Amino acid sequence: MVLFGLSLPERPKLSCRDFPASDRRRGPSHRTRVMDLFLQLLFTGVGIGAVYALVALGFVLIFRATNVVNFAQGEFSMVAAYLMVVFAVDLQWPYWLSFLCALGGMALLGVIFNLGVYYPLRHRSFLPVIIATIGASILMANSVLAIYGPQPQVLEGWFETPGIQLGPVYLDSQYLLIIAVTMVLVVFNYWFFEKTMLGKKLQATSQDKEMASLLGISVSSMIMITFIYSAVLGGLAGILVAPVLFVSIQMGSTIALKAFAATIIGGFGDVAGAIVGGLALGIIETFGAAYISVPYKDGFAFLVLILFLVFRPQGLFGERVAEKA
Amino acid sequence: MKLTRREFAAGLAVGITAPYVIGSAARAQGATIKIGMCVPVTGPAAEQGLWAQNGAKLALAAVNKAGGVLGKQVELVIEDDQTTNPGIVLAFSKLAAQSDIVGFLGSIRSTQVHAMAPDVLKLGKPVMIGGTDPNLTHMGNQWLFRFRPNDSYSGRVIADYGVKTLGKKKWAIVHSTDAFGTAGGKALASALETLGSPAVLDQGYANQSQDFTPVVLAVKQSGADVLGTYFTFENDLGIFARQLRQLGVTIPWVGSPSVVAVSSTKLAGPALFGTFGVADYAEDSSDASKAFGKAYRDAYKTAPDNQSAWPYDAITVLSAAINKAGSTEPAKIREAILALKKFPGAEGEYNFDQNGDGLHGYNVVKNEKGTIVYDKHIDFND
Amino acid sequence: MSAPSDNMPATVAVSREKPMLLRHLPYFIGAAILVALAATVQVDGYVHNILMQATTFAIAVFGLSVVLGLCGQINLAQAAFFGIGAYVVGIGTSDYHISYWLCLAGGCIVALLAGAVLGASTLRLGGHYLAMVTISFQQIVTLVMINAIWLTHGPDGVSNIGRPDLFLSAQAYLAFCVAMLALVGYAVWHLADTRLGRAMRAVRDNELAAGVVGVDVFRTKIYAFALSAVLGGLAGGLFAGGFAYVSPDQFSFAESVVYLTMSLLGGVSSPIGSAIGTGLLILIPEWLRFLKSVPGLYLAIYGLSVILIIRYMPDGIWGFVSAAIDRLRGKAKAPPAASALKLMPATVGGDIVLEVTGLSKYFGGLKAVDGVDIQVRRGGVHALIGPNGSGKTTTLNVLSGLYKATSGKILLDGTDITELPPHLRTAAGLGRTFQNIRLFRSMTALENVEIGAERPGNTLISGGDAALTERAMEALTFVGLGSRANELISSFSYGHQRLIEIARALAANPTLLLLDEPAAGLNSTEKQELHELLKRIAAQGLTILIIDHDMTLVSEAAQHITVLNFGRRIADGESMAVLRHPDVVSAYLGTE
Repeated sequence: MVLFGLSLPERPKLSCRDFPASDRRRGPSHRTRVMDLFLQLLFTGVGIGAVYALVALGFVLIFRATNVVNFAQGEFSMVAAYLMVVFAVDLQWPYWLSFLCALGGMALLGVIFNLGVYYPLRHRSFLPVIIATIGASILMANSVLAIYGPQPQVLEGWFETPGIQLGPVYLDSQYLLIIAVTMVLVVFNYWFFEKTMLGKKLQATSQDKEMASLLGISVSSMIMITFIYSAVLGGLAGILVAPVLFVSIQMGSTIALKAFAATIIGGFGDVAGAIVGGLALGIIETFGAAYISVPYKDGFAFLVLILFLVFRPQGLFGERVAEKA
Repeated sequence: MKLTRREFAAGLAVGITAPYVIGSAARAQGATIKIGMCVPVTGPAAEQGLWAQNGAKLALAAVNKAGGVLGKQVELVIEDDQTTNPGIVLAFSKLAAQSDIVGFLGSIRSTQVHAMAPDVLKLGKPVMIGGTDPNLTHMGNQWLFRFRPNDSYSGRVIADYGVKTLGKKKWAIVHSTDAFGTAGGKALASALETLGSPAVLDQGYANQSQDFTPVVLAVKQSGADVLGTYFTFENDLGIFARQLRQLGVTIPWVGSPSVVAVSSTKLAGPALFGTFGVADYAEDSSDASKAFGKAYRDAYKTAPDNQSAWPYDAITVLSAAINKAGSTEPAKIREAILALKKFPGAEGEYNFDQNGDGLHGYNVVKNEKGTIVYDKHIDFND
Repeated sequence: MSAPSDNMPATVAVSREKPMLLRHLPYFIGAAILVALAATVQVDGYVHNILMQATTFAIAVFGLSVVLGLCGQINLAQAAFFGIGAYVVGIGTSDYHISYWLCLAGGCIVALLAGAVLGASTLRLGGHYLAMVTISFQQIVTLVMINAIWLTHGPDGVSNIGRPDLFLSAQAYLAFCVAMLALVGYAVWHLADTRLGRAMRAVRDNELAAGVVGVDVFRTKIYAFALSAVLGGLAGGLFAGGFAYVSPDQFSFAESVVYLTMSLLGGVSSPIGSAIGTGLLILIPEWLRFLKSVPGLYLAIYGLSVILIIRYMPDGIWGFVSAAIDRLRGKAKAPPAASALKLMPATVGGDIVLEVTGLSKYFGGLKAVDGVDIQVRRGGVHALIGPNGSGKTTTLNVLSGLYKATSGKILLDGTDITELPPHLRTAAGLGRTFQNIRLFRSMTALENVEIGAERPGNTLISGGDAALTERAMEALTFVGLGSRANELISSFSYGHQRLIEIARALAANPTLLLLDEPAAGLNSTEKQELHELLKRIAAQGLTILIIDHDMTLVSEAAQHITVLNFGRRIADGESMAVLRHPDVVSAYLGTE
């Protein structure tokens, strides 16, 4: 197939004769086989989309509170995964203990990040902050490299069984866990932000810092809490995804870029948008790879992103905020 | 693991400085013969660079023990190429400026060799390389000598083994879209054409993909009964291998060297049991490789792989060639290298052809439940 | 404003009178010496390669100093433009054997087009979104470089890249590159003082105000991106010829970050800063090769330095140094004296300067302005008042084009300006000031006013920088601040900043001047002075539409008042009558 003059790998034309004899004996029809392909891709797309959604959530929270895009969000995931390796694999601590310690470490990292990167620059325009977060991501990635070395590490998943075969579709158990956790988090976030006092205070701070402080809310504490929460969320995403993607220095940055695209697609200020955007991106990417071109898989994400930015920058759910003249 | 690495690093530090100490003592007496080495000390391939240095230094010690070159001790001058193209150009030009360096070790990454090639041509001194892009020895540069079989051979060996030894004719090729993967995929595809079993699937993928479901499904749909692969990164290989097994694909698999590399075996675990790989270095393939394996283990307490084997051979061959030529003149060294026949090395038996390729075949090894076992060696005469 | 040409962006700085060239002679002499040195001094291959790299990277970073430093737009795709230039030269000379010069020009053109397209994306985006678009663009370019093997040779890269016959030797080629660097550096250096440069700085400092003052913001941003891209492409083409081999991994997002860091380290706004930053970031790693023994350590320190630079030296090394030099040099020099300001507002239409019919602005369900009619008579002062939230400022914003009207029509001197963007309304004769002062903070008072004077269609300036400065001086003197023209905005008090804003609007010779709460924040003396100023302005025949809360000022200065409440007009007429109108009174004071 030739698309834009580019020769894409040939998709074999599906026909019953193309399928292995063993399957043919079982006798599924051509249409069912195409359906099987579709369902498997759908599961994978939703699974990887849930990963993007989790990381995107972290982005959105920090953005809403501080109007800053944190280019180091992916590194939070990476650091947490390495912490898990240190605790669970090197030191051989029980999984649950390692998990809690890793998240604790992420909370600490969130504090340090806030104090070191965001807080000193909080009155400056967004550009210095973006660049500072880029610097922080380089610092974090290479510090881990310096301490741990470049080889990827293995982290075992939560479950003993690697997966379930549901009819024609294989469900990787870690992906199932990721999807489940994402759903729980969506509910949790909704409850937290809408129904608890702390959540409402955080919302108030993100909408109008001055007003919030006039009402007696400590803005700096709220921001600190936001960074801690975001770091922990990012860390959670990293720990969940590590068993499938392996623990490596680069694991954070590719996911983060896609997650950022997801937040734009979903609408930048919106939590629901992050989730929907992440899932949508995972699905588009997976199907694009399967039906159009595998090597350009990443390209689809960016193309969709650009289309959204050009035609609908507020994303699916976001509100455009106009500058007061 | 942190602690072990630190000890390892400390031990290596001693290992690294020792030759310099010895070297400077030798210098105090009289001149040494200098060999330059461009190696990644920093950058993504830093760890492999360390192993390459290990291999080179092991050979250096052996050469010096046996009397050195032209009666003098040999010294290694190392420059960091940062694993980047501009990096290796800078590193090489820094070394090239030292006129007393008689020969060089270049990179195992073909794109880096391409980058430094113009400067090598200009300098006109022999450079030993490990990169496997076949073009490197076919672009009219007479100063590049290759110490690993190039990718045209790996493709042919994979094809040969799969078709003739395993008896499988319907091939699915999965390859990375980077330099290595694309060239390898091409080589395998054309080798299969020659053998009359053209591939039923030629699937590229971009490095650092997080998910290989579409690729696995394509393999499944293609009805192939054997899989040939060129993977660059172990993460990708690990994820692919797992997903391949999860989705029920059990066909035999013959892959490029990364498939049997230590890190891949560790990451993918059981998913890679039973796979075949072509490996330029296989410890049990010959007496020379066994000897190298033992010496490396004694010195560095860990198993070697191709990253350390080819520099070992490069130093050994270069030293032998200079001794044979009786001079450090580049043209004479080149003549001597090309004249070498059946020279035993850790990577195999060297027979240099006019293009500078020393090896013309690969070992085939199998992952037997986690241990890499040598199967056979396949060589080509052209 | 003419678009920059292929590979010599110097054309934007074209109109140079003789004395200027002579004044800058030292620069050219210095540059000539450098080129001669490069051509003659023998250096070993290593130093040569470093110089080549530094020279070409510096040109790319100059590009960043234009788009980011001068225009304030983030561009994280500079490596993509660099790569485009490199690949066009590479493929052109190596595969198709086309002359190097043609390829270089081609590379610049392709990069220019790509940059313009990227700039066009700024139409609706800024800030983080723009950053994301540039990153996406960068990633897509890298992906194409790697995967479109039929075009780019894919990951193998392109070798045997040619060079111009004139500069075949390494020495000569380096000298050529240094010469290009010097030329480009000169052009970029003086870009800041050209009309386009001022427009870019205005956009950087205050985009909203820039539009209102007459700058075509969108077009300026496109030019900025295009210029940055051309410089990137030029640098890439030179790089390709210098190193004879290019491959996709040299033009990735990581490289864009490197260029950005070089720019920031040296100082983002000036080419001198770019040169310093590039030099340091290429030389330091070489000096610190020993630090590289631990993988990742060097880059970790690099990342840390980025954070520290941003935090403690936001203007980079050069910014730091030049600020210190300025402090040492002391107070700004006194500006030339100026003659009296002439205001000649157009008298094209009839009695009514501004005719607003049925103007509405709805924000979703909120009717901020609902069917408002206003007629402003020529000459004199017309006030628009109303309690808080009545829609006054919204009306003003719709009038000046910052908001799009939901319905209604606006006629300025007979011209329908309802659909026009802000800068075109200014061209049609509208001027305005802002409630929260929007001056261009990085510039002096004079420069601020000069930008105002530059508005397209200003018939009172004859052309050329001297006339511009004179007009600006006249305006500043008119408001009483002529003696402090060369001081930075930050050294003026709030009240004086307001006067400068008024001067900026006056310098454009508008037909109608919109003043948005000019008395806000002024003490009683300042208010008196403001009143006097308004009288003097009105005396020259310029019509003023003023919004304010200060009833004394309004009643004394305005002849005609329109009153809004809840978005609707509740009274309109002669001042005294309106102020006594029962509806107006109850709107302000409430009913019993």
